[in-house]
Amino acid sequence: MSQSLSAECTPLKIEYDSCFNSWFEGYLDPAVKASKTPEARAAYAKQKADEFNQKCGKIWEQYKGCVQHAVKEKGLDTLLQQAREENPLVDPIPPLPTQPPK
Amino acid sequence: MRFFSQSFIYDDSWSIVALAFFLRYPNPYASHVISCDVISRDHTPSGSLVTTRLILKKGAMPRWFPKGIVSRAESWVIEESEVDPYGKTLRCVTKNLDHVKVMQVEESVNFAQNAEGKTLQHTEARIFSRFGWGLTKRIENHGLTRFKANMQRSREGVSLILNLIRESRLQPMTLGAEVSHAVSPACEEKVSIGENLQGKSLWAKVKTWMYRPPPSQ
Repeated sequence: MSQSLSAECTPLKIEYDSCFNSWFEGYLDPAVKASKTPEARAAYAKQKADEFNQKCGKIWEQYKGCVQHAVKEKGLDTLLQQAREENPLVDPIPPLPTQPPK
Repeated sequence: MRFFSQSFIYDDSWSIVALAFFLRYPNPYASHVISCDVISRDHTPSGSLVTTRLILKKGAMPRWFPKGIVSRAESWVIEESEVDPYGKTLRCVTKNLDHVKVMQVEESVNFAQNAEGKTLQHTEARIFSRFGWGLTKRIENHGLTRFKANMQRSREGVSLILNLIRESRLQPMTLGAEVSHAVSPACEEKVSIGENLQGKSLWAKVKTWMYRPPPSQ
């Protein structure tokens, strides 16, 4: 993958990307039964998230820490904060439906 | 403000297009991408994946643009995406963080699976300038022209990655054929290929292709 914004984070980024991409491929094709009920979906989602944390959690924390430090050092954190306050890009995630839609 | 929207259909299934979209940097059509980092990534209770990426892109100012206002032709871009593999949708919004008074570009891309199992991409862009000095309209028009050209390149980049994914899924033996087993019995060879592929994800295979030099044009 491409470079990190900070050269010292690039090796961590490459390792993280590689781990994430392997996990992501399976994540994109969930088992058919997982979509049947909200309960099954939530259980499957939790299983996938746990799998990610188990496989890539450690390298993710290292990489994230490195990038967050670099973002602060370059003064990008205020720029980011500003952009998010001015115009939040992603709507809040709607909660899981408690009953199937009629 | 200039508004632009366009739809496009990929023949591939949603999960492959979504994978290609996330793997699109680096590719030979995106040499303007200097760096790309994930700054946050969360699994939502409903099973979606929400990601924020911070991307540094190289740009070039048009020749007619006044000198000395923009000191460096680089721009930080924030990209927020939400992937829902159950509903088979991917939403992605990007905008530049700096030079916003000169020009702000907000792009929104959606990928969704259609009834035929193909993938519909819908892109919308809003381009606006608050520059003034009688240049606002010219800047916005320039931004729109550049956006359209970049979109074409971006689609070529995604198509290139799609080809790599397709090739590595259809021809796993070609990728694993560096070691010759010509003297082994056929059944044994079959087993060893199966073992080679086991534990080697598609990403691992695609990766080796991505680091090859780009095909000569």
